[in-house]
Amino acid sequence: MKKFLAIVLALSMVFALCAVSASADSKLKIGFVTSAAGANDNGYNRSAVEAVKACAEEFGFDYKIVEPSASLTVGQAIEALAEDGFDMVLNLEYDFAALINGTGATGNVPIAEQYPDVTFVIFNDNPNVNEDGSVKFSNVYSCMFNVNEASYLAGYLSVYVNENLDKLFPEGYSFTPTSEARGIGFVGGTDSAGIRVFSYGFMEGIQAAAEELGGVSYDYYPVYDAGFVDSAAGNTTAGNMYQRGANVVFADCGNVGDGITERAEADGKLAIQVDANLDDTHPGHILTSVLKITGVPTRSLIEAKVNGTIDQLDNLLNFSLGSGASGITDLATISGFVADKDCWDEIVAKVNDKAEKIGSGEIVVTNAQNGDEFDPASCPLVVVKSN
Amino acid sequence: MRGLDSILYESIVYLTPTLLCVLGGIFAYKANVLNIALEGMMLAGAFVSVLVAHSHENKLFLAYLAAFAVCIFLGLVFSVLGVTLKGNVIIIGLAINMLVPAVAGFVMKLMSLASIPVKWFSTNSIMISIPVIRDIPILGPLFSGHPPITYISYLLILVMYLLMYKTKFGVHVRVVGENEDAAINLGLNTKKYKILAVLIGAGCCGLAGTDLALERLSLYTNNMTAGRGFIAIAAIYCGRGDPLKCTLYAILFSITNAVAEYFSLLVSASLLLKVVPYVVMVVVLSAASALNRRNSRTRGAFSEN
Repeated sequence: MKKFLAIVLALSMVFALCAVSASADSKLKIGFVTSAAGANDNGYNRSAVEAVKACAEEFGFDYKIVEPSASLTVGQAIEALAEDGFDMVLNLEYDFAALINGTGATGNVPIAEQYPDVTFVIFNDNPNVNEDGSVKFSNVYSCMFNVNEASYLAGYLSVYVNENLDKLFPEGYSFTPTSEARGIGFVGGTDSAGIRVFSYGFMEGIQAAAEELGGVSYDYYPVYDAGFVDSAAGNTTAGNMYQRGANVVFADCGNVGDGITERAEADGKLAIQVDANLDDTHPGHILTSVLKITGVPTRSLIEAKVNGTIDQLDNLLNFSLGSGASGITDLATISGFVADKDCWDEIVAKVNDKAEKIGSGEIVVTNAQNGDEFDPASCPLVVVKSN
Repeated sequence: MRGLDSILYESIVYLTPTLLCVLGGIFAYKANVLNIALEGMMLAGAFVSVLVAHSHENKLFLAYLAAFAVCIFLGLVFSVLGVTLKGNVIIIGLAINMLVPAVAGFVMKLMSLASIPVKWFSTNSIMISIPVIRDIPILGPLFSGHPPITYISYLLILVMYLLMYKTKFGVHVRVVGENEDAAINLGLNTKKYKILAVLIGAGCCGLAGTDLALERLSLYTNNMTAGRGFIAIAAIYCGRGDPLKCTLYAILFSITNAVAEYFSLLVSASLLLKVVPYVVMVVVLSAASALNRRNSRTRGAFSEN
């Protein structure tokens, strides 16, 4: 028995060696680490994974999709891929410590420093800077989504919808009329720049529309600490907002958002979702979704890597509304529930007009995730009710 | 007035699952097999109820039944390992608490879903609105407009009280917990009572999970119980297993929670407000404990801590 085991072990080692030598050819290898939600989530990971697969078919490279878990941290996954000879490693999880700063297990040497020939791509934050603001590792690329611009459009749309509820949604809903109160809610998962960037853009959109409408004033109920897990508590929070006169609540809190949209349907109100197009999860009650289309930066970076032009790119890449990496949905789902199509088309045209102006740089939206300071005094028509 | 009504209504929303865990958990507590798996069992109830409703259109009853059955099954697993095989109940409870979200997460991954919705079912359709009462302030939000399990939980307060103090079964469960040797000398099958005590708790957790996920949200998101089972354990300890006292603690916690949630929209420092329910709990517990100590006549080993 022992002998047999020894033979099996020896054979498997031979095969392992073969595998290593086989992979040592010059074919490009791209590794992809998903966020905790996994490759089959509602869109955030899926969009990027599909881009990787499409590019692999087009350009002919090998790829590997890795889902981190309790036994495989993001850092370990990145390191294993780099060790395995992958030329490019993308990471969608919000976890950069091992890559940029190193952890105890790797002897405190950052992974990016250990593997200078590997291109690393991260999303949603730019930790790749020294204290003086210079780029720390030239082989690390940070992709940011300008969701502030998409949130602006969502806020702008919300106000116009709220002012025209009688025409747009005369039946089947129970809205608070504008004669009683004007309110809009925002629920974020955790109090960080990555969440406030949505809220500030949203507020500026509300402000812009309120100004155009002759200075109507909106009560704004932001909650920044709803977490990402307790969907029942999110349901209660949204209920309180609706009860106080808000007709639209922007949910930016992962699974807690599902509890909020459920409340929107139960109470006959509207909600706005985030990250992926979730408009049809509660048809007629989700006004729109603010999108992060991860496939767009994923594709453009892979293309740059394949073409060998990646060195010419900045290490911090902002993907704006115009790039298609962020935006709001095409509003197709909610359009089916609108009564007065003419009024609706007018509103959509106004929103599209704003989108163009943002794209051309005529309108600049505060981008909190890039360190822009937000001045509440710039939104006098948005009365913040809580923190 | 609308504000008060809304606080009271949301208190009941929070109370129902917690109360059910409390009412079920007290028997295991009294039988000295503390069930810390309330959280995991409730999550299993939530998961299975929504999963079955998701895949079987218009068969709501089946969802209730499946959630109940799965929790009874988990109760049996807990009993076999913890009572029959005399394993450490804390470790077994912990294992169940960790196993349930892992299995649920795995199944959701297989289904390619980040959360499980029940699209055909509207929660409004099962809310029981009681005429007359619904128009009375204060009583309205407490007793009208809730789903079926909420009313079952109200009823269970009385049922569990009677079962604990007015039946032979209740006496035997308490004897088993207080002095197992004496119970054996009386000829009681102590294992039987312990297992039944655990199963009562498991069944109640099934109801709790169904209420939390299916009845209130028609939605399952992983880990959605978010510590409610542990709050229930705290309430059980605060009330020392007395159904009425434990219920009072659960109510107190739910009301402070709803008040904090309500006012978090009005003042800054909403993070600080989230602490309020816990602070109130600690203060009340300290006060209750101080009063108890003053009134207790026995000292030393026989005093009730």
